[in-house]
Amino acid sequence: MAGLAAAVEAAATGVLRVEKVRGRSAVTRCFAKYPLKLIAPSKVAPASCGAAWIYAITYGGGIVSGDRISCAVTVGDACTAAMTTQSSTKVYKAVDSKCSEQVLEARVGKDALLALIPDPVTCFSTARYHQKQVFHVFTDSNLVIVDWFTSGRYESGEKWKFSFYKSINHIILEDQPLFIDSVLLEESSNCSIADRMQGYNVVAMVVLLGPKLKHIQDQMQDEVKKMMSVQLRPPTSAGGRYTSRPQPLCPQMPPLIASCSPFGRMGTGMVARITAVSTESVYSFLRHHLAALESFLGASPYSAS
Amino acid sequence: MECDYPASKKNKLTHPMDIDCTVKEEATDAGSTNQHFHWSQWQLLDSILPTGGFAHSYGLEAGMQSRMVNRPEDLGPFVVQVLENTGSLLLPFVYCASKSPDAATWVKLDQLLEATLTNEVSRKASMSQGSALLRVAASVFTEIQTLQDLRQTFLGSKNLSFHHAPIFGLICGLVGFDHETTQRAYMFITMRDVISAATRLNLIGPLAASVLQHQVAADAERMLQKWRDRGVEAATQTAPLLDALQGCHAYMFSRLFCS
Repeated sequence: MAGLAAAVEAAATGVLRVEKVRGRSAVTRCFAKYPLKLIAPSKVAPASCGAAWIYAITYGGGIVSGDRISCAVTVGDACTAAMTTQSSTKVYKAVDSKCSEQVLEARVGKDALLALIPDPVTCFSTARYHQKQVFHVFTDSNLVIVDWFTSGRYESGEKWKFSFYKSINHIILEDQPLFIDSVLLEESSNCSIADRMQGYNVVAMVVLLGPKLKHIQDQMQDEVKKMMSVQLRPPTSAGGRYTSRPQPLCPQMPPLIASCSPFGRMGTGMVARITAVSTESVYSFLRHHLAALESFLGASPYSAS
Repeated sequence: MECDYPASKKNKLTHPMDIDCTVKEEATDAGSTNQHFHWSQWQLLDSILPTGGFAHSYGLEAGMQSRMVNRPEDLGPFVVQVLENTGSLLLPFVYCASKSPDAATWVKLDQLLEATLTNEVSRKASMSQGSALLRVAASVFTEIQTLQDLRQTFLGSKNLSFHHAPIFGLICGLVGFDHETTQRAYMFITMRDVISAATRLNLIGPLAASVLQHQVAADAERMLQKWRDRGVEAATQTAPLLDALQGCHAYMFSRLFCS
């Protein structure tokens, strides 16, 4: 296991290690080479908190066709680390159909907490993007994963114009697959991505795992259920098959759809799936539901500052 | 049976009449086995098989209550999306189970699918349909010893969730379907069940539903050819909006279906 981790680190574009130093989580290794930059500012969380914050930045603010960025992260036992970005990750147009790729392999120690709370990925027209994140955890590890993407620079009319987007998230609990997720959106002649996405511009997934996050999970499940149940109602007979309405650009569909599902044999994990018309509404959603992480991270994720 | 044919011809060269009779008898045996197989195949695909498929709408009910699907014209594209996602996410599990219908493969596939079906609504639907299908198949196909043994071994096991796709592939493999037919059959029963749910949700009448089913068949075949014969490491979902919506199923105050 140690040999494999070392091999991954040797080949990586970025290496990050967070370990306990004098009782506080500290970044003990922070290496990155072009096109990745890792910054670990010390002023994000108050000194009392003891959580390490790391920003992953790409030169030029985006990922160019053919770039491959791999990151190896280790969060030591009982440590707390938050990894985020400075702004949304832009994936530029594909050149010669080359795919851009980001790979993350993280090991989260016992009683540790890793929060991966980036801004969304925005793929430009014709872009091809592949992302794989693998998390190795223990039964009492804690994990927050926010993985989300937009339809493009949709305010300028670039909506679902990318060619290929695939995101894979694997959580491995002591060598057993606990959470295996893969989402693929590929442009095809038969059904465009835009048609499939029906006027929505943002797709987000939030994973919460571990004993420390139980109360956040429970609260999110309750609130999402309350929020959605008022928006779902059986079609009335007037709205049934006897009425012909002009096809809406989804003005009648809820502007934000969210659903939560527990996972794992002991229900220690929860995944929320969100689709929304605006990125701002998802920032709002994340800010609200992840606010309680401030007590662990020292700062609230996605705070509007 | 075909291998025996040239040998028997050699042995009976001196008795031409006997050759004809022997060949004919063998052909009849091969024919009757084939014909017998058709009855099993049709029974497995018939909606009358009590596997509880009628309790699931594959996200259609949530789609209607969120106004994604409003009119009969919206059903076709919805069914196509469901079929695409079935192909991309579940067909690999059907295929791999039908290729190796044994205990070790089944357990691995079931556990992997348990981790892959992250949507609780579809996960529970898969478990309930899978266990119902296994119970029915074991009761019906008493002549398939492997099936009986597998069911006996794993009844009450905590290690297995009895997910639908691997069990479907397993049973089809043991009954004698070829891999392509098995995967096509899985797409067929999915299409059948969504369209059936649409009629019960009063979205479309039974006649129009039958017309639609025939029209969508071409798309279903295209999807089959696109997603067939893949390993489970390639399994991926391709309908994130549908996934988010189907996950809302339990939030609906009044609902007809389980999923």
